Amino acid sequence: MKRFLLCLIVAGCAAPSPAPVEEPSKPEAQKPTETVAVAGLMESARADAAAGRLTNAAASLERALRLEPRNPRLWQELARVRLKQGDFTQAENLAARSSTWAGNDSALRAENWRVIAQAREAMGDGRGAQAARDNAERMAR
Amino acid sequence: MARRPRILRYFGYALLFGAVLASAVVLYLDLRVTREFEGRRFALPARIYARALELHAGTRIPQADLEHELRQLAYKEKPASEDPPGWFARREDELEIGLRPFMFWDGAQAPRRVRVLFDSGVVRRVEDADGREVALVRLEPLAIGGIYPAGNEDRELVRLRDVPPELVKALIATEDRKFYSHAGFDLRGILRAAARAVLNLGSERVQGGSTITQQLVKNFFLTPERTVRRKATELVMAVLLEMHYGKEEILETYLNEIYLGQDRDRAIHGVGLAAQFYFGKEARYLNLAESALLVGMLKGPAVYDPRRHAQAALERRNLVLRETRDQGFITPDQYAQARATPLGLSPRPMGTSPHPAFVQLVHRQLRRDYDDADLRTEGLRIFTSLDPRVQGAAEQALAKRLAQFDKERRFGEPGLEGAVVVTDPQSGEVQALVGGRDARYRGYNRALDAARPVGSLLKPAIYLTALAEPSRYTLVTPLDDGPFVWKSRGAPDWQPANYDRKFHGVVPLRMALAQSYNAASARLGTELGVDRVLDTVRRLGVERPLRPFASTLLGAAEMTPLEVAQMYQTIASGGFRTPVRAIREVTTQMGQPLQRYALQVNQAVPPEPIYLLTAALQGVVREGTGQSLRSFITPEVAAAGKTGTTDEQRDAWFAGFTGDRLAVVWIGYDDNRAARLSGAAAALPVWGELMASLAPEPLALPRPDSIETVWIDPQTNLRGDSACAGAVELPFVQGTAPEQRSPCATTAGAVVDAVDQGVKRAKSWLDRLFGR
Repeated sequence: MKRFLLCLIVAGCAAPSPAPVEEPSKPEAQKPTETVAVAGLMESARADAAAGRLTNAAASLERALRLEPRNPRLWQELARVRLKQGDFTQAENLAARSSTWAGNDSALRAENWRVIAQAREAMGDGRGAQAARDNAERMAR
Repeated sequence: MARRPRILRYFGYALLFGAVLASAVVLYLDLRVTREFEGRRFALPARIYARALELHAGTRIPQADLEHELRQLAYKEKPASEDPPGWFARREDELEIGLRPFMFWDGAQAPRRVRVLFDSGVVRRVEDADGREVALVRLEPLAIGGIYPAGNEDRELVRLRDVPPELVKALIATEDRKFYSHAGFDLRGILRAAARAVLNLGSERVQGGSTITQQLVKNFFLTPERTVRRKATELVMAVLLEMHYGKEEILETYLNEIYLGQDRDRAIHGVGLAAQFYFGKEARYLNLAESALLVGMLKGPAVYDPRRHAQAALERRNLVLRETRDQGFITPDQYAQARATPLGLSPRPMGTSPHPAFVQLVHRQLRRDYDDADLRTEGLRIFTSLDPRVQGAAEQALAKRLAQFDKERRFGEPGLEGAVVVTDPQSGEVQALVGGRDARYRGYNRALDAARPVGSLLKPAIYLTALAEPSRYTLVTPLDDGPFVWKSRGAPDWQPANYDRKFHGVVPLRMALAQSYNAASARLGTELGVDRVLDTVRRLGVERPLRPFASTLLGAAEMTPLEVAQMYQTIASGGFRTPVRAIREVTTQMGQPLQRYALQVNQAVPPEPIYLLTAALQGVVREGTGQSLRSFITPEVAAAGKTGTTDEQRDAWFAGFTGDRLAVVWIGYDDNRAARLSGAAAALPVWGELMASLAPEPLALPRPDSIETVWIDPQTNLRGDSACAGAVELPFVQGTAPEQRSPCATTAGAVVDAVDQGVKRAKSWLDRLFGR
C-alpha cells in the first residue's frame, strides 16, 4: 500500500506515463536559486557528509530546511544522508517529500527515484527497487 | 613494675578512649568533607532555550521585533562600542549588534559585530563591521526556563578567573578580611561568639564570627540550626577543608554556592546567575559598583533585594564600598566613582519560566529519553523550537479575546478558558503553546491535558476517506443533507441535526464540508464505514483510541488541542505525517551534543486526496463557516481551516493552516458547562488575530501530477467556464471531473479557456525545452 502511495506521489509509475503535461500554475520548481545562507549550509552539509560526519550534515540540512522548507534539493540531500546512515525508511520518505516540491524538474525527480531505488534495494525489496529505477529512467528521458 | 594508682589508670583509659573517639569523629568528618566536596557537583537544572533566530538576507522579521528580542536577551541599547558584547545601536532601517558569544549545539559562535539592514519587515542584508556580507548568523536563543532540582535552585557556574577581582576584593573586605591568611577559622571571631554563647546559655544560640570557609561548610554540609555542637562540627570541617584544598578552590566554590535572591519560585544561587539575573550580563563584566551590590546582598538577599528595596540595597552597597576602600583594596577615586553609580539593574526576568506550558511539553518529551534526576541536576542544555514572537502573539490573542468575551458575556458567564497550539506545517515543530488564559500560570495545561469533544474537526477525515476514491467521490459529488437516522444494534438511534436546525437537500460534497452539514457528513461517513474513517484518523496521526461509533464521526471523540494539531499537521504537510515535537537538540553543560531529535516524515495518505481535501478546507474559509476570517487576513492567503462546535455549544474550536503556520485554538469552560459557544464566533477570532499579527505566507500546495483544474458552474455543478456567473476553478483527479457542460458555458468562454490552456501548455513545453 505504502509503495503504491509513493508511486502516486512521484509520478504515475504503473501507468505508462503520457507525455507529461505540466501546467505553469504549479508552484514554480525551485531551481538552484538558494539564498546565500542556504547555499552555505548545503555546502557545509556536503563537506560533512563527505567526511562521514553524517549527524552534522543532517543538522545543517534541517537548519537549511527551516529557512527554505519548500526547497526540494534540501529534502533530497537529507534523504541521501539518511541513506548513508542506513535509515532507509526515512531516505525513501524524504526523497518522496522532495519530489512533491520538485514541480516539473524531472531530473531532480529522477534522482529521487534513484535514492528510493537504493533504499528499497537495501531493505531487500528488489522488485520495488526495480520499479523505482524504471521510474527514474522514464523521468530522465 | 610500679603500679599506677587505679584512678589514674582509668583516667588514662578515658583519655585514650576520648582521643580515639575524637579521632574517629574527625576522621569521619574528614571523609565526609573530602568525599562530598570532591564528589559534589552542583545540582544544575536543565536549561531550556527558545529557537535561535537566524539572521540572513531574507529573514522575515520587522526591525521592532528584533529590537524587542534583543531587549529580552538583556542587550543594552547604546552607541556602537567594542566591549563588552551584548549591545545594539539603532538607526533607521538598520541595527548594529554586538553579539555575545554562545555555545550552540553545533559549536561555539564567537562574539562579533554585525550590521543588519532592513527593508519593510524583511532583513535585506547582514554584514560585518567591515561591510562584507555575512551569509548567516545566529542570535543567541532566549533562555525560557529550566527543569529545576529541589527548592528550584538555579545557578550558572563560573570559574574564579572569570570573576572580576573587584568582586573578590569587596567580598573579602566585607565578609572575611583574613581569608587568605587564616586556617579556616578566625580565633578572635570564635572567642567573641563563644563569649556570647556562654553569656546566653539558656538559648544555646551561637552566631557570628564565620569565615568564608565556615559559611561554605555551613551551606554545603550542615543544617541551618544554630547549636554549639553544630558550630563545633562546622569549625572542624572548615579546618579540614582548608587542609585539603587551596584558597582559590574554596573561594570559587563559595562564589557558586551563595544564595543571592529569589525570582518568584526560582532561587538564585552563585554570582554567575546573579550577574545575569540582576544586571543581564556575564559575571566577568561586573563593575565595582555591581560587585559591591551583590556582596552586600549576602547579608540578606530579601532585605537588600535591589528591585524591591532599592534604597536599602544602595546604602548597603555603599557600605561595602566604604569597607573595601578602608581595607585599601580600592583607591578613594574608585570608591567615589562607584558610589556615584546608580544601581543599573536589568528588567526583571519571569520566575522559573515565562512560558510554563511550553516548558511542560518539553519536560514531558524529555522524560521519554532521560532520567528525571539527570534533568534536574546535570545542567543539560535543551534547544527547542519555541518562537518567542509566535508565543507572544498566541498569548496575546487568546488573553485579549477571552477578556472581551468575558466583558460581553456573549457566550455565557465570565471565566472562559482556552488553549492554543502553533506549529510549523513542514517540520512539525511546535512554535508556541498556550495552556490557558493566564499564560504564566504553572498548572493545568489545557493544550496538553484537556481532552474535549472535537465536534466538526473530525469531519475532514470523513471527506478525506471519500476523496481517496476518486472514481466515486469528487468535490462536486452530490450529497444528501436530508434527515438522517442511524440504527445500530445495542445503541440508541442516532439522528444528527444541523447547526442551523435545517436540512439542505442535495449539496455538492465541498459545500457539505464548507458549511459543516451534519446530516450529509454523517450519511457519507456511515456509507464509507465508521472503521474506514477512523483508520484515516489514525493515519493522520491520532494515537488515542476512538470508539467505533457513528457519533464519533461528528466529533463525540475527545482530543486535546495538541492531538488535533498532530492530525491537521499531516494534512498541512501534504499527507506526510511528521511527529509534533518541541525539542531539537540536547547537549551537556559543556556543549557536547547528546541527542538530536531528527526530522521524520512518513507518507501516511496519498497526495491527491490531501490536495482535494485542502482545496475543500480553503473553501471553508472562502465561503463556508470560516469566512469571517476575512476580517483578519486577506483572501490571498488562501488559508485552509475548519470550525468545530460541540453539543450544547460547550466547546469552540478552530484548526487551520497558512503557507507557513498551523494553529489550533480551543475555547470552553473548565467545568464543561453548556454555553453558547461556536467555533466561528469564539475560536476563529483568536486564530485570525494570531495569524494576522504574524504576516502569514499564502498557502500554495504543490499540485500532484494527476490533478487537473476545471471550471465548475456552482449553479449546476457541471463543467462551466469563466463566463459562468460565480464559476470556480476546482481540482479533480484527471478524468473524474464532470463531462457535461453547464448551459451557461458559452462557446466564446470555452474558446477563451481553451486558448488559455493552450498557452499554458505551450509555455510549459518551452520551459521544459529550455530546461527552466
